[in-house]
Amino acid sequence: MDRWRRRFCILLAIVVGVPLVIGILLAMRFLPDRPVTYANIEDHFKYGSTGGYRSAGFPYWIWKALPVVFKDRLPQNGGQGYEAFGMVFEPGHDLPVGVQRGRNLGVDRVFVNCALCHHTTVREAPDKPPHLYLGTGSAKLNLGAFYQFLFDIAVDERFTPDNIVPEIERQAGRLNPLDRSVVYPLAIALMQQRMMWLRERFLPMHPEEFGPGRVDTFSPAKALFSFPMDKLPDRELHCAADFPSIWNQGKKRGMQLHWDGNNTDVTERNKNAAFGTGTTPSTVDLEAIGRIETWLWTLKPPPYPPQYPIDQPRAARGAVVYKEYCASCHGVSGQDFTGEYVGKVTPIEKIGTDRRRLDSFTYDVTVNLGQPYAGEPYRFKHFVKTYGYANLPLDGLWLRSPYLHNGSVPTLRDLLEPPASRPQAFFRGYDVFDPVKVGFVSTRGEENGRTFFRFDTRLPGNGNAGHEYGTNLSAADKDALVEHLKTF
Amino acid sequence: MTESRKRRLLTLLVVLAVVAAFIAWFAWYEFFREVPEAPWQAENGHSAQDMRFMYGSIGGEHDSGIPYWIVYVLPRVFPDKLPRQGLHKDIPGSGGLAAFGLSWEQGKDLPIGFTTKTIGFKRVAQNCAACHTASYRTKVDENPTFVPTGPAHTFDLEAFFRFTVDCAKDPRFNASTLMNAIDQVKPKEFSWIDEQIYRYLLIPLTRRALLQQEKKFAWIYIHGLPQWPEWGRGRDDAMNLTKYFLTTAPLDTTLGPTDMPSVWNLKKYKSHPGTRLNLAGDSWDANSVIIDSALGLVRAQPPSNEAFLDQVHWLNHYLDEYPAPKFPFPVDAAKAAAGKAVFDANCAACHASERTGTVLPVAEVGTEIERLKSWNKGAAILANETVKAFGIERRGLVEADPTGYVASFLDGIWLRAPYLHNGSVPSLRELLKPAAQRAPFFYRGYDLYDPLDIGFVTQKEQADRLGAPWDDVTRVATEYDVRWRSNSNQGHEFGVTLPQADKDALLEYLKTL
Repeated sequence: MDRWRRRFCILLAIVVGVPLVIGILLAMRFLPDRPVTYANIEDHFKYGSTGGYRSAGFPYWIWKALPVVFKDRLPQNGGQGYEAFGMVFEPGHDLPVGVQRGRNLGVDRVFVNCALCHHTTVREAPDKPPHLYLGTGSAKLNLGAFYQFLFDIAVDERFTPDNIVPEIERQAGRLNPLDRSVVYPLAIALMQQRMMWLRERFLPMHPEEFGPGRVDTFSPAKALFSFPMDKLPDRELHCAADFPSIWNQGKKRGMQLHWDGNNTDVTERNKNAAFGTGTTPSTVDLEAIGRIETWLWTLKPPPYPPQYPIDQPRAARGAVVYKEYCASCHGVSGQDFTGEYVGKVTPIEKIGTDRRRLDSFTYDVTVNLGQPYAGEPYRFKHFVKTYGYANLPLDGLWLRSPYLHNGSVPTLRDLLEPPASRPQAFFRGYDVFDPVKVGFVSTRGEENGRTFFRFDTRLPGNGNAGHEYGTNLSAADKDALVEHLKTF
Repeated sequence: MTESRKRRLLTLLVVLAVVAAFIAWFAWYEFFREVPEAPWQAENGHSAQDMRFMYGSIGGEHDSGIPYWIVYVLPRVFPDKLPRQGLHKDIPGSGGLAAFGLSWEQGKDLPIGFTTKTIGFKRVAQNCAACHTASYRTKVDENPTFVPTGPAHTFDLEAFFRFTVDCAKDPRFNASTLMNAIDQVKPKEFSWIDEQIYRYLLIPLTRRALLQQEKKFAWIYIHGLPQWPEWGRGRDDAMNLTKYFLTTAPLDTTLGPTDMPSVWNLKKYKSHPGTRLNLAGDSWDANSVIIDSALGLVRAQPPSNEAFLDQVHWLNHYLDEYPAPKFPFPVDAAKAAAGKAVFDANCAACHASERTGTVLPVAEVGTEIERLKSWNKGAAILANETVKAFGIERRGLVEADPTGYVASFLDGIWLRAPYLHNGSVPSLRELLKPAAQRAPFFYRGYDLYDPLDIGFVTQKEQADRLGAPWDDVTRVATEYDVRWRSNSNQGHEFGVTLPQADKDALLEYLKTL
């Protein structure tokens, strides 16, 4: 009897205990979810998670392996690895600015966050080190090229564990059998499935046309709402717009922001933008996003760098011109946004700028945008279809080139010329600053083997017409006005 | 039995009772708990009453309600089943539920006419406003204005019916596919239990319920050009819906698609005896129509006749009092005054007299007769018996074969385009032409208004004149060919020989009605 009892106990231990132990081990490996957070808000903005790693994150080691395995698929512009997309690496970081990390489903997963599009580097001269600024639109990031890369590799026959896992092992060291044979092959298959799905829906928005510093903002929403992307009327396509600056959100409360003024609610705009970082309503990390929101509420733009002198008497004369020609739409100054038309929409007939971004945001997208976050108290309720572009405050204007919603005018001084005299084509993606015309240098197509994106204003969506305010001023007044705008 | 055994048994019983009570409570909570709607508040220029009309439940959630998250993801999972309009048969009109031409306000998660109610779980059903809210724009660069109680001339109801059934028939309508889509949009509070309920109960049960409806929709599935034209935007086959939905009459070969009517200012029907409701005077009074139409939406005997009749009572009052909308463009008062004289001489005998609202013999008007053939005395008797069996008293349907169409009251006539019962004449200007000169082919269901012709943009000339992209019109609007069965634009050739100046004056006057 005792013997049988002992045997039974052993059997029981094996039948119950072994699976239990395995189960616990697997649970410890695969269940924990750990977002990466930083105490310092700027670090958090640059590298912290928004929750997007949970739904969209690439396993860290796959992220590392991709630009090596698919080196030939990177933009051939002289950039190495993710730098070829204009991503920026800070010393001591192996992920670019704007890439978050978090632990989910048993692996570290990475995906983009807000900072990817909303930071920029500035150099005084080609041989000077870059200075990193947060909260403005990136000058260098070519998000479209990054999309294109992912869609290209998704259909590349080399996108298999046979090609990717060995590269992971080369970088990470030998993987354990579970990771090598199950976790990574499965992750690669799932990623490919997901990227193929996105490819079908996102390719019709022509990501190759964005160029650095721009994105087609609302076509992704249409794609996710299952609009017939490949059959949209042409007027709704070719509508990339510049990444905006996101400072001083508190002062801008209630304004019609987004380029076409389609939403007056800051938190909705932020939650909508957070979809771009891979979040879904159930995975979004509201606490993390909330920290960023609080920070942006009062974040001031960086002042015009002291190394560039401002001619004060000339700026003073420019202030007079500004008051007469600009203030009612753009506010009293770079800090005071009072003005009759600030944060309101000027009808397209009047502003006359390229209308594709406006036309891409149709009434039917607007109503579909009443659905995100359904079942939550913060379901979107503030999207409206408008028929013009919004008059934005000009805080930190010096750091927001190129200008107009589609980034079709490279510098402030160019913007003060009539459309026919504005540059017909120029280069984007270069971060050396031009303190005379105010904006990034846009006349260089190449530097030390790096080539830049040629922006042609004659292509659909790139038109540089409209906003002809101040174009009749004398050259001296225009120079003075630009001088004054440096103080914003 | 010893004391201890008894005690053990008792304990067991108590435990069982507690467990059973918990299970019962759980089932009640997850499947039957009815959460009342919040009181309606005025919003966006709509009164609280308008809001109730547009979004308020009329009880459809009990039997014809679809779980909220299924409604939410269906258009995303099955974009290939959204309606394809016009000449571009391979191009879906738009995205999401907007593809059906539903009136959808900005900032709302569902279109007008879609109601949300929690009965255990959140469910979506339809109310009267889906077919009875009009949408118009006065210029291209303008958001639509929605008029509750107006005809939903943009809504493709048949496409919507087909969509739900087609989705259910598709193998992708399964728990795995739909839950993947729901995962992308679900809120944080959507729990593991909710997910299991969706996965193992709601998705399969909804699929089954929708497939069961396929039988009732068999007559819709034979629709195709030209012998069985589709309803297209803004029309439904009202009497056949009554036959096959309210009662279970066997399928026949009739076809009677007609314009969705305006339901504002219903008190006009009480102005004199002899008025009848429905296009061929098929019902005795507004109350009967409201009851029958609402029963069509509830799709079964109401869960509570008392609550149902309260709702009907409210609708009666709301629709009696809702005023016809004013013409939203300038009107030339002098010209309109001249037009009044033309109207009095040529139109008033039928449209502003004791004859208004009564049935005129079809021979006198000469319009298309398929709609008359779609209804008969036997069908009326059957429908009346069905409603009576529910325990609902109403004056009901006229138990006689139809003989002609009702001479319309013309209140708000400007917003009731296209014209004639079958919507075969795109504008009032066209209606004043001899039938042979009226447009034989046009697009209906586009919401840009043309104040010159008095009707919506249906032709390229109008689109060009008003600056609308023609491919936008053909992308969303549905084709209408007067040669197709039941689509004839013959008849009502009144005023067609008037001098042009008189016609123009008359048209100006009609804007003021």
